[in-house]
Amino acid sequence: MKLDGTNTLAAPIETVWTTLNDPEALRRCTPGLQELKEVGPDTYQATLTIGIAAVKGTYSGTLRITDKQPPRHYRIALEGSGGAGFMKGEGSVDLEPQGNGTLLRWSGDVQVGGLIAGVGQRMLGGVGKMLIGQFFKCLEQRLGSGT
Amino acid sequence: MKPAAFEYFAPRTVEQAVDLLAQHGDQAKVLAGGQSLVPLMNMRLARPAVIVDINRVDGLEYIVAAPAVLRIGALTRQRAAERSRLVAERCPLLRDALRLVGHVQIRNRGTVAGSIAHADPAAELTAVLTALDGEVVARGPGGTRVIAASDLFVTYLTTSLDPREIITEVRFPALPPGTGWSWMEIARRHGDFALAGVGVVLALGGGVITEARIALTGVGPTPVRATSAERLLTGRAPSEGLWADAAEAVRAAVDPDGDIHASAEYRRHVAGVLVQRALCEALTRVREAA
Amino acid sequence: MGTRYVGARIARNEDPALLRGRGLFVDDVRLPGMVHAAVLRSPHARARIHGVDTRRARAVPGVLAVYTHADLGRLGAPLPKLIPHPSLIHHKTQCPLASDAVRYVGEPVALVVAESRYLAEDACDLIEVAYEPLPAVASVEEAVRPGSPLVHEDIGTNVCARYTQQTGDVDDAFARAPHRFRERFVVDRGAACPMETRGVVAPWDARTGLLEVWDSTQAPIPIRNGLAAMFGLLQHNVRVVAPDVGGGFGAKIMMFYPEEVLVPWAAMRLGRPVKWIEDRRESMVAMNQEREQIHDAEIAADGDGRILGVRTVFLYDSGAYIPYGLIVPIVASTTLPGPYRVPSYRCEFAAVFTNKTTVSPYRGAGRPHGVFVMERLLDRVARELGLDRAEVRRRNLIQPDQFPYDVGLIYQDNAPLRYDSGNYPLCLERALDLIDYAAWPARKQAARSEGRYVGCGVACYVEGTGIGPYEGCRITVEPSGKVVVATGVGTQGQGHMTSLAQIAADALGVTPRDVSVHTGDTALFNWGTGTFASRAATVAGNAVALAAQAVRERARRVAATLLEAPVEEIELAGGKASVRGVPARAVSLGELAVAANPLRFAMPADWDGPGLEAVRYFTPPQGAFSNGVHACIVEVDPETGMLSFHRYVVVHDCGRVINPTILEGQIHGGVAQGLGGAFWEKLAYDEQAQPLSTTFMDYLLPTAAEVPALEVAHVETPSPLNPLGIKGAGEAGVIPVAAAVAQAIEDALEPFGAHIAEAPLSPSRLRQLIAEGRRTP
Repeated sequence: MKLDGTNTLAAPIETVWTTLNDPEALRRCTPGLQELKEVGPDTYQATLTIGIAAVKGTYSGTLRITDKQPPRHYRIALEGSGGAGFMKGEGSVDLEPQGNGTLLRWSGDVQVGGLIAGVGQRMLGGVGKMLIGQFFKCLEQRLGSGT
Repeated sequence: MKPAAFEYFAPRTVEQAVDLLAQHGDQAKVLAGGQSLVPLMNMRLARPAVIVDINRVDGLEYIVAAPAVLRIGALTRQRAAERSRLVAERCPLLRDALRLVGHVQIRNRGTVAGSIAHADPAAELTAVLTALDGEVVARGPGGTRVIAASDLFVTYLTTSLDPREIITEVRFPALPPGTGWSWMEIARRHGDFALAGVGVVLALGGGVITEARIALTGVGPTPVRATSAERLLTGRAPSEGLWADAAEAVRAAVDPDGDIHASAEYRRHVAGVLVQRALCEALTRVREAA
Repeated sequence: MGTRYVGARIARNEDPALLRGRGLFVDDVRLPGMVHAAVLRSPHARARIHGVDTRRARAVPGVLAVYTHADLGRLGAPLPKLIPHPSLIHHKTQCPLASDAVRYVGEPVALVVAESRYLAEDACDLIEVAYEPLPAVASVEEAVRPGSPLVHEDIGTNVCARYTQQTGDVDDAFARAPHRFRERFVVDRGAACPMETRGVVAPWDARTGLLEVWDSTQAPIPIRNGLAAMFGLLQHNVRVVAPDVGGGFGAKIMMFYPEEVLVPWAAMRLGRPVKWIEDRRESMVAMNQEREQIHDAEIAADGDGRILGVRTVFLYDSGAYIPYGLIVPIVASTTLPGPYRVPSYRCEFAAVFTNKTTVSPYRGAGRPHGVFVMERLLDRVARELGLDRAEVRRRNLIQPDQFPYDVGLIYQDNAPLRYDSGNYPLCLERALDLIDYAAWPARKQAARSEGRYVGCGVACYVEGTGIGPYEGCRITVEPSGKVVVATGVGTQGQGHMTSLAQIAADALGVTPRDVSVHTGDTALFNWGTGTFASRAATVAGNAVALAAQAVRERARRVAATLLEAPVEEIELAGGKASVRGVPARAVSLGELAVAANPLRFAMPADWDGPGLEAVRYFTPPQGAFSNGVHACIVEVDPETGMLSFHRYVVVHDCGRVINPTILEGQIHGGVAQGLGGAFWEKLAYDEQAQPLSTTFMDYLLPTAAEVPALEVAHVETPSPLNPLGIKGAGEAGVIPVAAAVAQAIEDALEPFGAHIAEAPLSPSRLRQLIAEGRRTP
């Protein structure tokens, strides 16, 4: 499942970069995040309860940030499993200055498996996109929207 | 496919139900017809800790015609509404859409309000409520409030209802005499969720369209009101060309997802086709009424 | 033998019980002390297992046991390999529970036994499996590419077999042919989806040493034999019962599914009867599937549209294992030439592992694929040469005087593919008449002038049926005069209780209501192979006829003694034996049964045993070949890609018809499944082989609302290969549906230039094909 999007943030690229690397910001903006524990450099142990309405699953796994090129680019890898199945995602975040703000492009390839993939395909793509969108929307709110 | 353990309550009054919801918050789910909730629980996709079964609550099963509005109680089964003469007379758009909700067996149990509260992105009744600018009446710990359709649907399976609130009534504005309507949808099979569906209401005066309402389902996270197409239609004389323009306006306005049953592009295309056909049918009904 | 009931349209013996809800299906078996099993299945299409921690699951109150591969001992070995083939180099089967790797989503990893299914599922949630997910391979095309993930790493390839069959000098024919057309055809995955999923209930009695297994299977006797061997029990001490079975369609004949071994094993370990009922979601990943094949096919024809040669190279997706061997691709290969004279033919296939549910035969078992390829190629010939589609078929049909017709290939039963009998031109003409093909061009034109897009499809097929090795039957007349027929072939809704009763009734002069047919219980009949390949009526039916004939002769001999008349003058009718011309001199069949079982006195030296009873077996020399033609008229809404079926005609020849109602039921069900395969039913997988359609919300079985009214006509060309002249009919309905529907849609969309080379289709896909057609009407 390939997803992508762009957001415009009303903060200079360096600020955006710092926020994107701030565990506290990740904690606040990741939908359904229950727990985020730094277990190594750029490596986190995470527990998420995500889904929509009554359809929620708890996943625990790891989140890794790699290929860091401050302040423009990093890659993020996420792997988790739980009762409703598992998910595995890889994506990249690219920043570029735009006026006084910053243009953020994100793209990712998320694989969802097990129960939720088998019975939830009708909404899976849309919900996945929505959740990622929520994350960046939250960043926008923290940093102020550029649009 | 057996649900995880849950605690079960069967309140007798709305107050008891609301108390239970207030107590358990988002750990609880309301069980009405159970046509969506029970499968989700059996597959363990939903694991509510508490079930508040409102089927024994008295006084929630009714269809009442008030001036300009049809009030449907929260426990009114879809099949009852589908077969109600009041619904047929005052809100034929609802009746036509109901006929395409699942199968008869589903409609025998499923409730009108339950379908709206579940807010499936491809449901019929959410779009009907949206097309008609209907409302729901919700009761919660803080009392009763009325929520307009435009404020109700938030995203996939999500409404603006608080977890401690239940819908007690759904209100569908009645169509004034002489109004045309049409419900059209494309589903892979009879009774399946729509790949795209549209409800249209059309009124004419002096040879031009005085009112056009278009709501779509299956083409986004929530029902979509095609306001740009409505504006384009209002004040113009009906014609095939106008319908085609409205279809294009709808296609430009919707952003459907693709899935294994149909691509996003397909859904966008047929949303337009359905709008065109529904407008055509609605116009025929206006003319028949005249 | 007089025929009063064979051929008669009589109501089914089994229906009064089934319609009143008094059937006995496996889930209806409830035993004292019974406990319930649930299976934990892999969510990964490919992963290594580094460990399974069952501690938390075992701690759940009410959980009796949690088993993993480590508990199975000797039983953990790969399950039996069915039907080996010299070309099948890597005959991989799965272990009852995965050991160190899983290869498809749904592969069993652990078995939980608990006081209720609820608790068993709760415990499944608590089992922690340390998976190391690995890249999976979902498509056959990807699986054969160098560098693809390997489903079985030890064999270094995903190709487990390559097999070629050829007749005539194909390459020479293609070299000389004036016209050659090449196409790629894709047939996607589907599932049998019987209304009753699988299920096993096993009580074990340690005192008597008797293991009983209630199993929703199509092959109880082979299951019994296999279980006895695995558990070291006497076959005599294992009883397998397939009671009422709610459909099988091939998917319930596996020998063995893991649960068929695990559940009896758990029952023996725990000393409690264990029940496991497959739920629908499990069934969509753990019951064998079928259909996926990709053909690169080519036809050579002369200027008149006569076939000079056909060749196809195809990939057959076997899924993660290949327990059932090469039956499906061999059947596809050998069904492809169909009712046509194909002077030269080569089919070459590779059977390929992918990380998806295992494939084994499902109704049609490769036949729909072969027919789809052949019929689409003939449509191409017609289109390219400007010939009428029916005329191209007419010119190529095998003629009635050409039987037996040797196709020049080896069939699935390892015997030469020789058509026994048939009248193919008659079937085609009947179908064309019924659909009013002569008037079709005018009707099509009329629809076009109204802006409607209507198309007609006509597709022919030959179905191999009734293969060996044998089936048997024991017929006993009871003192009540009732007749008991016991046979080894089970029934999954085909109406054996009626059609076999009709055969026995005619021989014994009773009514089918007097005949009680017992199938599927190894305690009642010891020998047999199973219900598959459209063989039960042909093979078991003839065994019933032989046994009934033997009982009849014995009854006549006993009657001759009692009535003091020559045996030649004894007639059986109305439940009595009487002397010809003297109806008053009669004795009832029940009295004869009593007389045939004396309680005292010595018997004569030539006495042939007690009772009116006989056991007979029938073994056909080779399969019998049914055939038929489907014709349909379909309207396509080009704006939405939605279909409406105006008419659907089936002309069908399965030799002598036993019961038209049952036969038509078979055809109707088959066409419904065929329509599913043509337009609705698609098992979708993502690129990592995750199944995406594991509920009936997403796996679209056509319902009664989708299936059009069917018009069925019969042609009866008896088979010379068996006394009753019957041929099988079980799979017929499904076979040419996708081909006929594709042709009708392509015909309807001809103004758009849409080209159909795949099944199943969908409205969304049709819109895409219309766009790719790049033509505007």
